[in-house]
Amino acid sequence: MGSGDIFILALALISVALSGYALWRDETLNWVFAVPRPPAPEPGDAPLFETLFDYRPEKGVAHSPAIVANDETLSVLWFEGSSEAQPDIEIRRAVLGEGPEGWRAGAPETFLTSEALGRAFDPGQLVVTLGNTIQNDAAERSLYATVVSVGGWAMASIAEVRMEGTLPVRARKLDLSPFLNRSFLVRSPMVAYADGSHALPAYFEMGTTYGALVRLNADGRVRDQRRIDGTGVKPIQPMIVALDGARALAFLRDFDDSGQLYLSRTEDGGRHWTLAEATDVPHPNAPVAALSLSGGRILMARNGGGKKSGRLELAVSGDDGKSWHMIHRFEREPGEARYPMLRGLADGRILLAYSTNSKRGVRVVVFNEAWVAAR
Amino acid sequence: MIGFLAGLGLAVLLGWMAFALLGWALAAALAVWVGGAIGGLAVLLARNTLPLRGMVALLAPFGVMLPAIALRDMAAGAGLPVVPFATFELLVFLVLYLAFLTSAIGLVRLDAYRIGYAPLPVAVMVLAVCLYGFLTGNWFLPLVAVLGQGMWVSGWGSSNWFDHVTHVLLVPVALVVLILRLI
Repeated sequence: MGSGDIFILALALISVALSGYALWRDETLNWVFAVPRPPAPEPGDAPLFETLFDYRPEKGVAHSPAIVANDETLSVLWFEGSSEAQPDIEIRRAVLGEGPEGWRAGAPETFLTSEALGRAFDPGQLVVTLGNTIQNDAAERSLYATVVSVGGWAMASIAEVRMEGTLPVRARKLDLSPFLNRSFLVRSPMVAYADGSHALPAYFEMGTTYGALVRLNADGRVRDQRRIDGTGVKPIQPMIVALDGARALAFLRDFDDSGQLYLSRTEDGGRHWTLAEATDVPHPNAPVAALSLSGGRILMARNGGGKKSGRLELAVSGDDGKSWHMIHRFEREPGEARYPMLRGLADGRILLAYSTNSKRGVRVVVFNEAWVAAR
Repeated sequence: MIGFLAGLGLAVLLGWMAFALLGWALAAALAVWVGGAIGGLAVLLARNTLPLRGMVALLAPFGVMLPAIALRDMAAGAGLPVVPFATFELLVFLVLYLAFLTSAIGLVRLDAYRIGYAPLPVAVMVLAVCLYGFLTGNWFLPLVAVLGQGMWVSGWGSSNWFDHVTHVLLVPVALVVLILRLI
């Protein structure tokens, strides 16, 4: 046996030791969903529906709003600039507050720029533009941002960004693809698990497209990812709603412009997903938002009404998404209403954010289940 | 540490590029040292410039294999004994890696990349590489596999082991080597 052989055997022994340590340290993923149980409306609750924020920039786009709620603030984030995917795009926010006189929205302010985000990476990285950004529910003052360093959205990556006020202090890209770590984007809120961990719905947009459920460990590093795909469709932007500990629905936008909303299901906590199938909900090539209501019902914000529908509507399902009852259709306005995001507050009220005027404005409304029940 | 390692990987790649370009004009042994100096100085002095920040954004995570291949090539240029990969090894690598990338971009349902997050499959793959190295007398691949595993376990760089031991730039590198052998 030569010295080379002995060296390789030593490497194998080191590998066994490393594997033993990795196995000992590995956190077994919990695949039981945390099921949201929002409080049911009391008989005396008055219906509430109010517009909190209605913003239109003087020029350019303001699009893809996300609601960020933590112990300190409630705010809405969106991306804004001369045009989508341009270098001047920045993430802006308005802080939403509630006082004795009711809700009040702060003035829009710059929250995250490409330049500041690029400096927050170690080593610094070029960030050309920013896209959909959502709250990281697993960490305080943390976001997941869609960042582009070269090319367009198909070359985007997802970055976890830690914020101190309006300053990004640390950023790292999630390791999701061997292809230069490219083409993963975020849009939908995270999914909670029973052990307190969270998963990130994401989607891959290069060529063949598919949705993905990204499992993260306690350090926020990717520990697993599971595909949500289909046959003959391009299912992206999975909007996941847990039905119970094992079952969940993923509503998917068809990037292939089929004019239908797609649905995939899991019955094992997200480990496996059925091939996405068309629902009977006509829908443009645009995402939906969904949220659990009391009594096991599901609320959906969508562009129902056809392939080119620019109007937003709210619908409720009481049978795990098999059928839907439209409860409200928003007024027709110039341009399209798109990219809804729903978020339930601890007191049962529900925030809905969406873009207006064909990506040239952002609106946030608040309502409660008493209002939903009265529709 | 992650920033330092990324800077190191970038320095090696820049040094390798400089070595390759300088090799047209200088003796290989001299090109190694000049190229290495250029790579190191570029990262030390210009790491916050647009081109280098762009390279990091585009190519990171660099992993172990790509810098190791670069150092190996430069070591051969400096006159150290380096056993080249066999043609069939390069062909097998290309076929397997292209199939791997195909699965990653969703052209087939099997997602091979995701097993690189899990300790047990990684343990098996690293030992398989060690066995291959033992049978063929090639210590380079086991070294890269175990170094990659060490970095992966340490949390330095990607949370997926495949990112430490592969890189998409290896495809053009392997193709160039194969074409040069055909000429």
